[in-house]
Amino acid sequence: MSVSEPPTSAPHAAVAALLKPGAHGATGGQPVRLAVRDVDIVQLLARKGRAEDAAAAIKAAYGFDLPSPGRSAGGDALAALWIQPDGWFLIAPRGTEGALARAVKAAVGDAGSVVDQTHGRSVITLSGARATWVLAKECRVDLHPAAFGPGRVASTQIAHLACTIHQRDAGPTYDLIVFTTFAKSFMESLTHAAEETGYVVS
Amino acid sequence: MIRIDCPWCGMRDEAEFTYRGDATVTRPGANAPEEAFHDFVYARKNPRGWHVEWWYHSSGCRQYLKVVRHTMTHEVRTVARATETPEVPSE
Ligand SMILES: [Zn+2]
Repeated sequence: MSVSEPPTSAPHAAVAALLKPGAHGATGGQPVRLAVRDVDIVQLLARKGRAEDAAAAIKAAYGFDLPSPGRSAGGDALAALWIQPDGWFLIAPRGTEGALARAVKAAVGDAGSVVDQTHGRSVITLSGARATWVLAKECRVDLHPAAFGPGRVASTQIAHLACTIHQRDAGPTYDLIVFTTFAKSFMESLTHAAEETGYVVS
Repeated sequence: MIRIDCPWCGMRDEAEFTYRGDATVTRPGANAPEEAFHDFVYARKNPRGWHVEWWYHSSGCRQYLKVVRHTMTHEVRTVARATETPEVPSE
């Protein structure tokens, strides 16, 4: 086939533009950091009775086991997040348009359905020593280290919007995955919550 | 405020869920009379006490759950998967 790759677009540029570089809100304390990650996001749903086949295919292709409920697996090159029974997000740094979805589909074959969510979802990163304190104002999930922590995932509501929280490290660093069409409203709520500690956009 | 211990997600706030009604009614057979379908769609008991209900974890794992809830105290006794048959307390 001689069809060339479609041009790589910038699906998260409008969301990233909502954050103005610099320091905002309160000063003198421990500001949190806010950023928009430019990533590809693919949704993988195992077909009925094929979860083990899908998991084996992902393991063969990428070298890790798909995570159990409430957990993530993999790393920054490719992370898998549990989002529902037999359903996961696969997240990787932004590459050629559609390439991740095609690669995952090629790996799982008819054991799973793959939908490219790159344009539909955006990932906002909240990090810093007081990130948990800011996030706790926004959501009802128990974020205490005894109940949550690195490698944990929870889908919940923030500012009345569906949001999947992924704690990536003990810093802590949280990825907040939201629908791109609601990202402006979400960001208004998040930046408002972060004004109390102050927040930095670099 | 009700908290529901989702079998997939753990203890979560009521706000993440959507109430989907009585989980005790069953769809009549395809050849059942019209009255049976009328009752299936419209007729509901309104018990004071334990009730088995569908709750959809719309902001979480997007699964339908069967919740055994007391309609007067709001106590949640059991949260089960959709395919399970939770026990209903007698009192
Ligand atoms: Zn759930």
